[in-house]
Amino acid sequence: MLTELFHLLRTIEGKPWAYRAKFVGLKILHGANFFAALHLLSYIGSISTMAGPSMLPTLANEGELVLENRWSHRVFPDSLRRGDLVILRSPLDRTRIICKRIIGFPGDVVCVDPTGEKAPSTEHVEVPKGHIWVMGDNAAYSRDSRDYGPVSMGLIQGRLYARVWPPNKFTIFRNPITYLDRDG
Amino acid sequence: MPHLKRALSLLYWAPAAVLLTELCTVKRVSGRSMQPTLNPDSSLLWRDVGIFDRYSIHTRHRRGDIVVLKSPENPRYELIKRIIAIEGDTVYTRPPYLVREVRIPKNHVWVEGDGFHSQDSNSFGPVPLGLVDSRLLCLIWPVWRLGSPTGPVTPNLHSRVTPARSKCV
Repeated sequence: MLTELFHLLRTIEGKPWAYRAKFVGLKILHGANFFAALHLLSYIGSISTMAGPSMLPTLANEGELVLENRWSHRVFPDSLRRGDLVILRSPLDRTRIICKRIIGFPGDVVCVDPTGEKAPSTEHVEVPKGHIWVMGDNAAYSRDSRDYGPVSMGLIQGRLYARVWPPNKFTIFRNPITYLDRDG
Repeated sequence: MPHLKRALSLLYWAPAAVLLTELCTVKRVSGRSMQPTLNPDSSLLWRDVGIFDRYSIHTRHRRGDIVVLKSPENPRYELIKRIIAIEGDTVYTRPPYLVREVRIPKNHVWVEGDGFHSQDSNSFGPVPLGLVDSRLLCLIWPVWRLGSPTGPVTPNLHSRVTPARSKCV
């Protein structure tokens, strides 16, 4: 790497300063363009780490890498289904990215907390327009719609596609939901 | 062949161009919700075009800023509104909202249009900051409106907002 750099510098040795400046500037621009292209890949998908107990047993507490699908919800907003794992910007802190499971869509009537811990298990709400109801799989250790209510769909960043690390636990996440009655 | 070569070189530099739009974008304002500050011509013969800063919004936002945000009710639409109150403030709401007085929760803002109040926080409540996309820097079109938009900050703003105690206005 360093020797290549020296080699590059030697090719412009003795040339006029204007030429040298243009040469170096162009190289820097090409480099920046390369990193921009790398960054653009994150519009399609990205590999990220997961931490926290809220999605146990689907995702471990730590040490796992997952593949995110970041384009399909933008191109096909209707492709999201109840039961999908989604990546969201936390409504409580814009810098935090969280992972939850979609429980309800606009118009659905959901039970606020089936466990009865954070709200009486008889309490139901209707999910408003443009919002989803999300929950972590580990209800005991999850802060989700039971605490902050329905979440705007604009906060969705992507969908979880697969677990890629550790290799022996490679999984493509399938939607586990079965409907008892599809009429409603 | 020179055309093809030119097209290829444009394509080659596209990533850098796309990355620039993550820092700032040029957008045209449609609709009348920010009248008279933006689009003051009520027959909409011309529409304001502005430069929007998408970077600094990650670090700061203030009362009075004009921001672009994803509509909480439909993520496909973008709205342009003014930030009326930030987290910790108490706001006296306008009619469509059911509660008379709201304290803005953490990491949320209260947004309203300067003109019509058709689709703003008075109908959908405080907005999470994650939906706020960019802040209006300055107008660039039409030429005679070049510069930052002037106009009254929403009337009665101070009588309707009680700032959080730990910060000053």
